[in-house]
Amino acid sequence: MKAMILAAGKGTRVRPITNEMPKPMIPILRKPVMESIVELLRTHGVHEIVVNTSHLAPVIENYFRDGNQLGVHIAYSYEGYMTEDGLEGKALGSAGGMKRIQEFSGFFDETFIVLCGDAWIDLDISAALRQHREKGGIATIILQEVPHEEVHKYGVVKLDEHQRIVQFQEKPKREEAVSNLINTGIYIFEPEIFDYIPAETEYDIGGQLFPALVAAGEAFFGIPMDFQWVDIGSVPDVWAATRMALLGQIHGFQMPGKQVQPGVWTGINVSINWDQVKLTPPVYIGSSSKIEAGSHITGPCMIGANCVVESGAEISECLISDYTRIGGMAALDNKLIFGGDCISPDGSTMNVSETQIRWLVDDMRRVLNPSDIHDMMLFNNMLSYYGELEHENEVA
Amino acid sequence: MQFSTHTQGEFTVVAIGEARMDASVAPELKHSIAQLLADGVTRIVLDLSQVTFMDSSSLGALVSLLKMVGNRGDLIVAGAKGIVADLFKLTRMDRVFRMTESVDAATCAVAA
Repeated sequence: MKAMILAAGKGTRVRPITNEMPKPMIPILRKPVMESIVELLRTHGVHEIVVNTSHLAPVIENYFRDGNQLGVHIAYSYEGYMTEDGLEGKALGSAGGMKRIQEFSGFFDETFIVLCGDAWIDLDISAALRQHREKGGIATIILQEVPHEEVHKYGVVKLDEHQRIVQFQEKPKREEAVSNLINTGIYIFEPEIFDYIPAETEYDIGGQLFPALVAAGEAFFGIPMDFQWVDIGSVPDVWAATRMALLGQIHGFQMPGKQVQPGVWTGINVSINWDQVKLTPPVYIGSSSKIEAGSHITGPCMIGANCVVESGAEISECLISDYTRIGGMAALDNKLIFGGDCISPDGSTMNVSETQIRWLVDDMRRVLNPSDIHDMMLFNNMLSYYGELEHENEVA
Repeated sequence: MQFSTHTQGEFTVVAIGEARMDASVAPELKHSIAQLLADGVTRIVLDLSQVTFMDSSSLGALVSLLKMVGNRGDLIVAGAKGIVADLFKLTRMDRVFRMTESVDAATCAVAA
């Protein structure tokens, strides 16, 4: 079996993270989601993978290259143009992207799987392929059962008694949903599917191709499968996925680094005064990071590589990306620090540069300037003054 | 800088009418409230409910003002929300300022 990974989306719901990296590159505890997908494909004997790229294509292409380091062959189908200002993506839609590859080389000459690059899954692909062959249809959609109150977020599918798909609904209201089986965005196709996809046109699998198959009376099937599917479609999702990984709730997820204490993992070359740092697991600390004495880290928490957490800092349930300096006065609670932004799980964003708090949270490679130091002193004095006052009150 | 003042019980309420409190309003903020203090006002509630953005310089101005008030009076921050409230928490200034959900909560709590 061959595969196509859909990686051309803009990921607008994951901004500002996707200003820097496309969704498939968003890591769950350091590993891009798409890397886990490639590994899963390889485990099930899929070795030839074409990835359609568009938004921030080079980030994906430079990471996976030809796939050799992951033991597979990877090729890219770039959707866009080079202009005076650089690359400008123009995505063709999921089905349009497939068609482009097929028109180019006829790559899909056998049964193939198409899946989104932006969800962590542990699907038994071999079992899904077996069921697809048993059904004998032109297409099979991998479905999942969800609670009725969640159907409004997904594409809902209705099956007949032979598991043939008879109806599609895009994000229906709970009371109007025809079932609680949802489309997971994982499909197995036969090459004949291309008869239904127009060339050189933006065309979507869920929104256009499947309704066209229903209209044509083509036999295609849905198979409900029990597997873990961790979507990272939004900033809260990214946070939730990282927490789940840290809490051991993602089945089969391999923690990076080594476990140095129960529930505490680190990379190598870390500088931590273990006796004087208050750690509450689960916590992951990346390679080459420094955690100074007197700081508090409360899990679930992930601190990236090359970070500095200064003495006194309080970090609770945070996700901190590489090369971040957290000043000693900082109290971070439920925050994602990413690319100079301090993001709350609800997606609201505070930019550390715009807010002028680079004295508190910043790239650790940047040297503090006099105005940073002025602010730091001002706030620090105030805090110690009130700290002493409080202490006096307590004593009194 | 847009702001209005009114008296509520023993308090002078200063309602900030700017959505953004950044470096361009910080000096005037400091000056205006320092003037109130010089005029003998001691109990101030600063209503930030209209403010959607605040930076370190404006927060720094408030910190300086709090120092000026010292033990002689109050400078209560009311109605901070979203990233404004986050800024106070992030810098631990929520532990230094007395902060309330609303102006009413500020005037009632202290009166009681």
